[in-house]
Amino acid sequence: MYRYDEFDAAFVEGRTAQFADQVARRLSGELSEDQFRPLRLMNGLYLQLHAYMLRIAVPYGTLNSRQMRKFAHIARTYDRGYGHFTTRQNIQFNWPKLRDVPAILGELASVEMHAIQTSGNCIRNTTADQFAGAAADEIIDPRPIAEIIRQWSSLHPEFTYLPRKFKIAMTGAPNDRAAIRFHDIGLQAATNGAGDIGWEVWVGGGLGRTPMIAKLINSFVPNEHLLAYLESIMRVYNRYGRRDNKYKARIKILVHEEGLETIKGQVEAEFAEVRGGVLTLPAEEVDRITAYFAPPEFKTGTATKIDVAYESIIDPAYGRWLDHNINSHRQPGYASVTISLKPIGGAPGDATDAQMDAVADIAERYAFDELRVSHEQNLVLPHVAISDLRTVYDALVAAQLAEGNAGLITDIICCPGMDFCSLATARSIPIAQEIGRKFASAERQADIGDLKIKISGCINACGHHHVAHIGILGVEKKGGELYQITLGGDATENASVGKIIGPGFEAEQVPDAIETLVDTYIARRTSADESFIAAYRRLGEAPFKEALYGNA
Amino acid sequence: MATLNMLHSERKPDKLRSLGILALNGMFDEMDAVGVLRQAAQDILPGDLAIVSSFGADSAVLLHLVAQVDPSLPVYFLETGKHFPETLAYVETLKKQLGLMNVIAIHPDPADIKRFDPTGELWETDPDSCCHIRKTEPLEPITEQFGGWVTGRKRFQTKERGVLPHFELTSDDRIKVNPLAYFSDADVNQYKIDHGLPEHPLFSMGYKSIGCAPCTSVVAEGEDPRAGRWRGLNKKECGIHFDFNGAIASPMNAAKFTLYKDGAFIADPFHAWEDGDDAATARYKHVPVTVFLANREAFLDNQAPLGLLVSPGEKIEDVEQDLSRFSSIAIKFPAFTDGRGYSTARLLAERYHYDGEIRAVGDVLQDQIPLMRRCGVNAFVVTHQPTREALEENRLPEVAIFYQPVGIAEVPVGTRPYLRRAH
Repeated sequence: MYRYDEFDAAFVEGRTAQFADQVARRLSGELSEDQFRPLRLMNGLYLQLHAYMLRIAVPYGTLNSRQMRKFAHIARTYDRGYGHFTTRQNIQFNWPKLRDVPAILGELASVEMHAIQTSGNCIRNTTADQFAGAAADEIIDPRPIAEIIRQWSSLHPEFTYLPRKFKIAMTGAPNDRAAIRFHDIGLQAATNGAGDIGWEVWVGGGLGRTPMIAKLINSFVPNEHLLAYLESIMRVYNRYGRRDNKYKARIKILVHEEGLETIKGQVEAEFAEVRGGVLTLPAEEVDRITAYFAPPEFKTGTATKIDVAYESIIDPAYGRWLDHNINSHRQPGYASVTISLKPIGGAPGDATDAQMDAVADIAERYAFDELRVSHEQNLVLPHVAISDLRTVYDALVAAQLAEGNAGLITDIICCPGMDFCSLATARSIPIAQEIGRKFASAERQADIGDLKIKISGCINACGHHHVAHIGILGVEKKGGELYQITLGGDATENASVGKIIGPGFEAEQVPDAIETLVDTYIARRTSADESFIAAYRRLGEAPFKEALYGNA
Repeated sequence: MATLNMLHSERKPDKLRSLGILALNGMFDEMDAVGVLRQAAQDILPGDLAIVSSFGADSAVLLHLVAQVDPSLPVYFLETGKHFPETLAYVETLKKQLGLMNVIAIHPDPADIKRFDPTGELWETDPDSCCHIRKTEPLEPITEQFGGWVTGRKRFQTKERGVLPHFELTSDDRIKVNPLAYFSDADVNQYKIDHGLPEHPLFSMGYKSIGCAPCTSVVAEGEDPRAGRWRGLNKKECGIHFDFNGAIASPMNAAKFTLYKDGAFIADPFHAWEDGDDAATARYKHVPVTVFLANREAFLDNQAPLGLLVSPGEKIEDVEQDLSRFSSIAIKFPAFTDGRGYSTARLLAERYHYDGEIRAVGDVLQDQIPLMRRCGVNAFVVTHQPTREALEENRLPEVAIFYQPVGIAEVPVGTRPYLRRAH
C-alpha cells in the first residue's frame, strides 16, 4: 500500500499544525463558533448531539495493522473504547474532547493518517471497491489513481468552498461494489478500442433528499488526462452549482436542472482549455504510484480449494462464514475475507479497541498486513491463504468478529441516527438491532439469501436506504418517529432507487413489517436461487404492498 | 483645476500599457536621461507630469533636465519649514539660472503642525510622523492631480534602490519616471561640471544628500551618500519616494488603511462604484461587471484609472477582451464560504494572464487568504481585526507545501511536477 514520503509527511504535519492553531483560537474565543465551524468541518470535526465527533479518513478504505492499532489506541485513550466505521470507508470517534483533537491528529500523522476533508464543502475521501487489488473480476486496481486523486484534491485552493460536499468513488471491476453511480463522480475502469485501460466517468449521482443515479458524461478518459478532466468538472460545479439552497447544491441537482448535455458541453469546453496542461499525468508517475500497490508475495503450492459442504457438516457456523464472508481472489490459493461488524443486536459498524487490536494482529500474521474498510461498514482481509482460513476464523471467533452474515439480511447499513446525530429525526441503530434479533437464526438468514437492508435516521440518507433492497427511513411525524419502507433499490451496476411502498410504521412494527415482506418473497420466489431483488423486479411491488397493507 | 481636468482627459495609460512597462524600460539608453524625460513629458503623460524636488545637493541635475525638456513643467518644493537657509537660497538660484517657470512651494497644514508638533521637536521624537505631516500629507492632494511624477532617485544611492528602472507603475496606476536611475555619483558630478551647474552651498561642507536641517548630517568619505539622513535611526526614506498611494511611513493614520498589498496595509486609491457615478468621468472606481457591460463604450473612452468588480455568478469571460482596461480587479467574496471567486481568480491569472492587481473584497479572513493567494489574488481588503493582525505579524495559518499545480508563481517540488508545489 502507499507509504508517505517526506513531502506527504510534511504536508500532513503542516495541516495538523494549522488545525491545532485553529483549535487554539477557538478555545481562546478568538474564533466564534460560526467562524470555527467551516474550519473544523474541513478537518472532519463535527459537533453532534452530545459531543464533538472526529471523522478520520481511510483513503480508498485501505489501511495496515499499525494504523488499525492506532485507531484502537485513540479509542482507548481519547474516546470511550470504540470507533464507528462509516459508509465512506472512514472511522468516526464519537466522544473526543476539543482540546484533545490536535493530539489525536498528531497521533494519526505518526501512522500516515489524517482527517483532512472528511467533511466540509470540499472533495471528500475517494472511496473504492473494498476488494480492490484482490477481486477475481477486476480489470485494474483503482487505488493508485485513487491515491493520485487524494493528493490532487487535498487542500485544493480552488475547490475548498464548493457549493456542497463532493464525493468520488472508484471501482476497477465491472461488478460495482463501491456504489459509484450514487456519487458526485463515479469512476469505473473501462477499456477503449485499442485495449488501453481508462475510466468511464459518471457524474451527478447521489442519495439524500433527492436520490439520483449518475449519468455517463464520458465513456473513456485515459489516466493521462483524468486529473484535467476532474478539474474541469469541479470548476464547472464550483462556478455554476446552486448556492441559494443547500438542499439543491449538490452537483446532481446541477446536472438534473441543466441537463447532462449542457453540463457535458461546459465540462468539455473547460477540458479543451486545461487538457494537456500541467495536470497531465505522466505514465511513469502512474507506474511509480502503482508500484506501492503491487500484490504481496503470494505463496504457491498451498491449498486452492476448501470443501465448504464438508466443513459445514463438521462446524455449521464455520460453514456459514465460508459461504458468506469469502470473496473470490484473483490469486489461486487465496481469498478475501469479510469481517462482519454486524453482530446480532450490535450497532452496525462499531468495533471496540480490543477488536481493532485483534483484527490488526490477524492482518499482520495472516493477511500481508493489509486491511480494508467496506462501504457496507465491514472490515476486509483482502489476501488470506485458503489454508489459513480456519486459523483466521478461530481468531475472529475469539474476538467476537466471526458473524457469518455478510450480504445477508442482518448485514445492515445503518447511520448513527438520533442516538448520536444532531440532524437525525429518528433512531436507526435500535431498529437495526431489532431486525437483527428478529432474524437472528443463521439458518433462516441463509435461506433468505442476499438481501440488503439499509436504514437512515433522516432524509439525508446517510444509511443509503434509497439503494437498499428493503430501505427504511425514519422520519418525524406528529412528534413521534415513523418509518417509511422502500423497495427495489440497488447500489450496484444495476443501479435503481427504491420506491416508498406505503404509509410508514411505528418503530416496534418495523421488524414485523420486514418479516411480512420477507415471507412474501420466500413464498413467491421461483427457487432459492432467485434473490429478493430479482423476485421484486419480476413481481413488481403489488404482492409486497398487498401483504403489508391488505387489499384496500 | 479646470486646466488639470482637461489635462487628465489627455492621459494615455492605455498607450503605456500597450507598450508595457518592461518594453518602455528597454527603449532608452541607460544614460539617456533627457530622452527618458522627454518621452514621459511629451508622449506618455503630456500635461500630466510633475516633479517634486528637495532642491538638495543633487537636485540641480534633474532640474536642468526639466529646463531642457520643458521649463514650464510644475516643480513642487516641499517647504517643510525645517530647511537649511542655504537650501531656500538655492531654490532661488536655480529658478533664476535654469529658467524654471513653475516652481510651487507646498506647505504643511498649520493645523497639523499645531496639533502634532507644537514645539517643533517632532523630528527628534518621531521622525516618521514628522515626515508624514510635513511631506506626505501636504503632497497627497497634489499627487492625485497628476498621472506621473519625475523623481531624481538613483540606483547607487542606497541598497534599497539597487534595481530602480526608468519607469515604474505604482499600485494606484501612476507612473514614476526616474531619468537618473543609472547615474552614479561620478556621473552626477561630471554632469554638474559639464553644464556649469551651481552647487548647493552645503555640498562642499560634506553634505551629500540634503533634506531638512535637523535630520541631515555630514557624510564621511566612502560612506553611503544618504547615510547622513536620519543618522542613527532605522530610517532610509522619508516616505514620499515609496509609493504615492501611501505605502510609506504614516504611523498616525495606518489604522485607516484596509488594503493589504505587497506586505503592508496601504491607502486604497480605489472606491466602490456608487449610484450616480458616470461612466465617462469616473476615476478609481471598481465598476461592477454589469455596469461596465451596459456602458462599455463610455468606459473605454474614459482614460482615467478604473477597476472592475466581479461578483459571484458573473462570468469573467464576458469581459475577457477588456481586462487590460483595468488596473485593478476586485473579486467579491460575499461570504467566505462562497468559493466561486477562487475560480474567477485562477481564470484571470492563469487563463487570461491578467497581471494587474487582483484583490479580494468582502468576507476576507485569515484562514482563506493563503488559498486566495494560491489562486492569484495579490491584494486584500481586510476589515476583520484578527485577520489584520495575522497579516501584520505574518502568521497566517497556512500549509506551506501543496499537492496541486495552481497559479503562476508556484514551483514544482521533487519528482512530481504534475502535483507537488511550493511557493
